[in-house]
Amino acid sequence: MPILFTFAWRNLWRNRRRTLITVSSVLFTYLLAVALLSFMGGFQQQMTESLIRQETGYLQIQDALYLDEPSMDHIFDHGEEVSDVLEQFGDKIDVTVPRIRGFSLAAKGMTTRPAMVAGIVPEKEDKLREISSHVTKGKMFSPGDDFAVVAAGLADLLDISVGDTLVLIGQGFQAVSATGKFQVGGIVELNLPEPNNTKVYLPLERAQWYFDAGNRLTNLLIMPHDTKRISQLATEMEENLDREWYAVRTWKEIVPDMVELMEMQRLVYSLITWVFYIIVGFGIFGTILTMLYERMREFGILLSLGMKRRKLALVTLAETVSIGLMGVAAGIVAGIPLILILIRFPIRFSGEMAAYMHDFGMEAVFTFSMSPGLFINQGFIVFGITLLIGVYSMRKIFAMNVLDAARS
Amino acid sequence: MKTVIKTQGLSKTYTNTAVPVEALKDISLEFKEGEFTAIVGPSGSGKTTFLNVIGGLDKPTKGNVIIDDVDIASMKESQLFDFRLKHIGFVFQAYNLIPVLTATENVSFIMLLQKRPKEEMNKRAKEMLEQVGLGDKLDVRPNKLSGGQQQRVAVARALASRPDFVLADEPTANLDTESAFNLLDIMARLNREENITLIFSTHDQRVIDRARRVIKLVDGAVDKDETFDRD
Repeated sequence: MPILFTFAWRNLWRNRRRTLITVSSVLFTYLLAVALLSFMGGFQQQMTESLIRQETGYLQIQDALYLDEPSMDHIFDHGEEVSDVLEQFGDKIDVTVPRIRGFSLAAKGMTTRPAMVAGIVPEKEDKLREISSHVTKGKMFSPGDDFAVVAAGLADLLDISVGDTLVLIGQGFQAVSATGKFQVGGIVELNLPEPNNTKVYLPLERAQWYFDAGNRLTNLLIMPHDTKRISQLATEMEENLDREWYAVRTWKEIVPDMVELMEMQRLVYSLITWVFYIIVGFGIFGTILTMLYERMREFGILLSLGMKRRKLALVTLAETVSIGLMGVAAGIVAGIPLILILIRFPIRFSGEMAAYMHDFGMEAVFTFSMSPGLFINQGFIVFGITLLIGVYSMRKIFAMNVLDAARS
Repeated sequence: MKTVIKTQGLSKTYTNTAVPVEALKDISLEFKEGEFTAIVGPSGSGKTTFLNVIGGLDKPTKGNVIIDDVDIASMKESQLFDFRLKHIGFVFQAYNLIPVLTATENVSFIMLLQKRPKEEMNKRAKEMLEQVGLGDKLDVRPNKLSGGQQQRVAVARALASRPDFVLADEPTANLDTESAFNLLDIMARLNREENITLIFSTHDQRVIDRARRVIKLVDGAVDKDETFDRD
């Protein structure tokens, strides 16, 4: 049997250039696919990280109805029951970040603008997104302070600055009228345009007072130590809460549109990858067909001599699969260092692209991700394609008329 | 002498042509062990078809081909593969060596398919190549050999597995005179020494002059069947 593999191997190198070109096409397609998917993985990871840190956290405790109707009427009591659960799962939780927020009207003098009033604890927020470092004028409030920090865009719209008085009018808990006057103590520059034009930050207790919410929160963000098992943690925590009143949501439940968008992105990238694979598949197919047809006579002779179709088919399969395996092996050898380099030295953006990425709260770099699955999955796909082509050549051998082939 | 091949009322009609062609008509022949036979006749007389049918490469429309007490005309394809491998050696006009294998590997190839022990294969391949005068070309690939040398390797390949008979389809057609005589000398010697039945289809007078039996086919039928004492 080894001579049959020797036979297959030597057949591959009959036309050295053709084999090398085919192997190279597999190699480059594999590399391109791996790089593309690695970039997609990195980009999505960056986007998810940004979203989780800016907005959702990995998990949130909410009122059971808040997800369907996010209003001030569906805020939850941050009392003993919730504290007990947080204590019970304390070893699994890294940080919790309490927030209360609701729409109001913000006014200075005769100018009024819609605002999103958010009660926060800056020390806790900083662990997620370093909001204090984005304060461009004045300062971020500390415990005991009683002033507002206004987003830079809204400050411009209201023509308000540090030391001015901001008037807020809105709706509080259970339709209570929420009104308040707050001194502006700081201006904060936010990355995304929408929050930058609407956000007003208050110390959590002051916001709870403003909304007449007692110690209630709209959401309590949870950052667990193990971010891979958030669904399991959510279920476990929820089992210890009264489900009539509380819900523990994962970030995917909170922003399904974003998850859908990411799925779409993944689909588009997969489609692009498959287009590459189809192109290279036809390349390999063409080479294999050429190798097959130019040796028809030889195959006929081998069968005439008594070689079994099965053995001959295995030889052709071995040739096809070898091309795929050589391409994939070369791809892995070249791909791992390439991706490691791209992870270590990510591509940085400047100018408009950088500004655009900053607007979305992301760092202006092309980040790449690497997982063994990335290389293995692509390897299996290429192997599958070559196997499919190999099966076609096997079928040809089985369908071949020995005499016609020998005469060809 | 033992009968190696016996054909009875062998006919072959090709129907995949515009007009059906009767390539073989009612041929009944016997070939004895150790015979050196030339099948001659003009182009289209049915020489190659006859070799294909008795070699199990093509099926007759009518009649039987009895080899080793078995009618190969009724065998399935998979049985024919095994049968050819075990009983028949082939030499083709265009040599048809495997280009990526060395001379030794080419000669060993049939024995390899027969699953013979490696030592026996190598010994026999070397012995056969020495017998055809290519003892110094054991590790050379076909593209480095002349046409005559390639055909000698093909002969060594056909005989190495000690088949019951060898079918040679115009084996000297592509060879110059010297190479052709050289090849015929070798084949005649091996025929004597190994007692292998040789059946040639040929136009070549040089082959016909060496054959001890000459069968002439005309329009698919046996026109003449003559034996000669060449020794």
